Amino acid sequence: MEVLLNTGRTVDQGVSMERGKTSQEYFEKVAVAFLHPEDAKELGVGEGQAVRLTTEFGSVVLRCSLGNTERGSVFVPMGPWANALTSALTEGTGMPSLKGLRAKIEAVPGGKPTTLEELLRSWRGRSGSA
Amino acid sequence: MIIKNGTVYDPLNGIKGERMDLFIEGGRMVEEAKGEVIDASGLIVFPGGVDLHSHIAGSKVNLGRLMRPEDHRRDPVPRTEVTRSGTGYTVPTTYVTGYRYAVLGYTTVMEAAMPPLTARHVHEELDDIPMVDKGAFTMMGNNHFVMKYLKEGNWEKLRNFVAWLLKATKGYAIKLVNPGGVENWKWGKNVEGLDDQVENYGVTPREIIRGLARVNEELGLPHPIHVHCNKLGTPGKFGIVVDTVETVVAERGRIHITHIQFNSYGGEDWATLSSAAPEVAKAINRSEGATCDLGQVIFGEATTMTGDGPWQHQLFRLTGNKWYNSDVEMEVGAGIVPYTFKPKSLVNAVQWTIGLEVALLVEDPWKVVLTTDHPNAGPFYRYPKVIEWLMSRKAREKTLSEVHRAASSRSTLPSLDREYSLYEIAVITRAAPARLLGLRRKGHLGVGADADVALYEFREDDIEGSFSRAKYVIKDGEIVVKDGRVVKEHWGKTFWVSPPGELPEDAREEFERYYTVSLENYPVEPEYLPRSEVIPCG
Amino acid sequence: MVLRRGVVCPFCGCLCDDLEVEVEDGRIVSTKNACPVSRSKFLSHAEDRARPMVGGREVSVEEAIEEAARILREADFPLIYGLSSTESDAQRMAVRLAELTGASLDNTSSTCHGPTVLAAQECGAVKCTLGEVKNRADLIVFWGCNPAEAHIRHPIRYSITPAGMYRQGKKERFVVHVDVRETRTSKMVNQFVKVQMGRDYELLSALRAAVRGYEVKEAAGVPGEVIKGLAERMKGCRFGIIFFGMGLTMSRGKNLNIDAALRLVRDLNEHTKFLIMPMRGHFNVSGANEVLTWLTGYPFALNFSRGYPVYNPGEFSAVDLLSREECDAALILASDPAAHFPAAAVRHLASIPTVVIDPKVSLTSKLARVVIPSAIAGIECEGTAYRMDGVPLRLKRIVDSPYLPDREILERIIERVGG
Repeated sequence: MEVLLNTGRTVDQGVSMERGKTSQEYFEKVAVAFLHPEDAKELGVGEGQAVRLTTEFGSVVLRCSLGNTERGSVFVPMGPWANALTSALTEGTGMPSLKGLRAKIEAVPGGKPTTLEELLRSWRGRSGSA
Repeated sequence: MIIKNGTVYDPLNGIKGERMDLFIEGGRMVEEAKGEVIDASGLIVFPGGVDLHSHIAGSKVNLGRLMRPEDHRRDPVPRTEVTRSGTGYTVPTTYVTGYRYAVLGYTTVMEAAMPPLTARHVHEELDDIPMVDKGAFTMMGNNHFVMKYLKEGNWEKLRNFVAWLLKATKGYAIKLVNPGGVENWKWGKNVEGLDDQVENYGVTPREIIRGLARVNEELGLPHPIHVHCNKLGTPGKFGIVVDTVETVVAERGRIHITHIQFNSYGGEDWATLSSAAPEVAKAINRSEGATCDLGQVIFGEATTMTGDGPWQHQLFRLTGNKWYNSDVEMEVGAGIVPYTFKPKSLVNAVQWTIGLEVALLVEDPWKVVLTTDHPNAGPFYRYPKVIEWLMSRKAREKTLSEVHRAASSRSTLPSLDREYSLYEIAVITRAAPARLLGLRRKGHLGVGADADVALYEFREDDIEGSFSRAKYVIKDGEIVVKDGRVVKEHWGKTFWVSPPGELPEDAREEFERYYTVSLENYPVEPEYLPRSEVIPCG
Repeated sequence: MVLRRGVVCPFCGCLCDDLEVEVEDGRIVSTKNACPVSRSKFLSHAEDRARPMVGGREVSVEEAIEEAARILREADFPLIYGLSSTESDAQRMAVRLAELTGASLDNTSSTCHGPTVLAAQECGAVKCTLGEVKNRADLIVFWGCNPAEAHIRHPIRYSITPAGMYRQGKKERFVVHVDVRETRTSKMVNQFVKVQMGRDYELLSALRAAVRGYEVKEAAGVPGEVIKGLAERMKGCRFGIIFFGMGLTMSRGKNLNIDAALRLVRDLNEHTKFLIMPMRGHFNVSGANEVLTWLTGYPFALNFSRGYPVYNPGEFSAVDLLSREECDAALILASDPAAHFPAAAVRHLASIPTVVIDPKVSLTSKLARVVIPSAIAGIECEGTAYRMDGVPLRLKRIVDSPYLPDREILERIIERVGG
């Protein structure tokens, strides 16, 4: 399914970040894709199940959570998972493109969200996706 | 240290160009000393310059820097072995500000508009300005508590509040900017005259001016109230200056009218603008206790920045240039608009004449201070150009011939013969501002004075050049500038006042209710003034 | 037990200064008045602390500082980035270090309100302090921001509900939320306006046209009637303000969105009093802009390799320098780009010698060659922070810390690079 990707702050993201970005809590609150219930239904995923988001710039598996967004768009809290998908293109402003990116979303039956370790490995290994 | 054989101008000690030796020890002028000898033969020797009105530090100044990258890009300043890098032009960075003042031979500079709530910011920047001693004037002309206590007629509370605010902000003097008008601007309005009402407060600009002038003298503050008058920059409104001066001197108060040029406009509108300098100068001449600084226009780039929000909006509407507005709760406002003074513009040419006319028409040089209201009418490093215009009728005639002809027809400048002497220049750039500020160790070279000295190679045929790069500048007894270059970075002090008086009890509750910071987090902590000196009141 | 009052919160740009913090045996045990994020910051401050490391090996702080200095000394084109979650003296030191090493210097505003700065450099901005809003505003517009989650006490202290001089609470204010989705903020307001993602510029332009009296039709998914109604409301209020966030700065149009918003507000001042304010994220990102500006003339994205500051967002901004793989070393201070930059930029950061100065284990520290742990400004050391509206406040030291403040670490590096 084609969607527009939005990223941003949430309370849970802020609280868990202060606990530590390597904490389990941070992983649980930030490695999340918020979908509109109707879109989730169409995709055949429910709360807590895995979805893969892919953009021109990368791909990650996230835990699906219902609500908190409009139809046709997906919200991912700011953090390393969201940024596996965003564009470093700043168009001469210094500001990367972090909101409103075209993305593809698909169900990953029985899948697990990309772990922080996997992300770190992908950065170190200079490969394109996680 | 010995400064040998210089031609000394020291107006506060009555010395008018005498060949003599000066002695320095322990950072002060002394009777007799040994050590390094500076050969000052052929040089003129002035006390270090004192600027009593400049915008060099704080939120408004920094917005002026922020909004104008184009202004900085044409004036990069590389770092050297001795000095740090930065950028200049109309609103230079803090270090560059200090260096450029030093190169001019200025050693004391006052930031003329400190908003109380952001006083910490002013002091943080002052702490990053090397070379000069400094201070900042606390803005009070639109302060909630000032207007409230005036309305109540409660002088004791007003006095206590003012004293407390000066201490809380580590300020040096009481500054008024468009008194009452800026509070009205917070509803998008202004005042039109001294007897207009301030909305919701039931007081008038005249009452604010009179009240703060009275408190100023009751507290025995070293500097008179420092006033940016109402309706600045408005054709035909010069009468407000005259009225403001008379309001204060009628009660035997003291008043300093700042950047008087901007308030001395005759005519009815911009098309008919004319100089009202003669009327304004007359008011200064006849009023004991009244002084002024010029706000002299320099042709070229400027960045206008004042605490006068409605005026800056007006200027934005006139020019269409970019416009910053910055209102501060309970206290003040500010605006910033870049501006270019063009020689061929009728308005700018007339404005240019006015500052010079005031300087030439006010008879007593002790009542005049040279400023450009930096960076409003031009950057401070163009002061030497103003000195040239004041000292040379020929230089004025040359400029008159190059600018819009209205400068000749709508001003008395072409008819003025007076030429300032070096002694008088020493008065309006050193002695008078130091005396007006009540800084007793500044502005002169007598025994006990701070050893702040500027030596110039004076050439009659290049007055501007002579004063642009001092041959030597000595600050607190050390050579900091040689041959127009900074050779040593030096850190000056911040002056402030500490009159007796505490925050009235009933202000506490209102403070907590209407401000968005806690009272306990409001006063500037001593950490922000690592080198400071309290100047006594009374 | 010691109760500290009037504590300034070092989390977001609200810089709430009414916190109460209880300390027992040198440990923070409780907070009052703090939002959930702030409470988490205070109560978890001792957890997950960074250790001094070089190349994955734990070392002494001295050794880590030595190695950091060596990296910067030997680099041809280093980047110094971050600065926003520390106090202004550390920011001053960072400028000094950048000057001495000919580095590029950028702060997190390049990825939050850098576009706001760019727009203000085109046309200025009509701003005020937050107390003006509390005391006078009768119309408040939140645009592309979510204070209910990102600036949690903003609505209570400054904007929606506080009792001010001329406005008594929510009933005397009309509050509008414009965003691409309904959030917790939408539930606090009188009117929610849904704009299509990436089309804020159109809506702002349509509003501006309506304010100027032109007939408008649907724009960005918002019906013409709604646009007209909002324009009339804006013109008709006594004191209005727009608060805006990343929804405008990060989405399509970026600085042009802000430019449209700033000009709309400028136009509104022909009719009434109207102001605008960015919702700054990090507690001292405003300070980073202030300090860099007073020392260099420029607020972010600058470079010292010519011996003087040169400003060029898009060239000397961190994401650009990294994703173009230009810098050959980096010092990251008080921020975590690995957590918040696009992966393309992070990958370069992982491939060059990177120094991290941070109180906590950050994702960047996981990729760094050198890690230097520091004291937390506002909890473990003092300093100055600038609120989102530019009001500077003194951060307090609540508990002692074995860690050095950022400013001291930087000072020691400066000594070693030859300052």
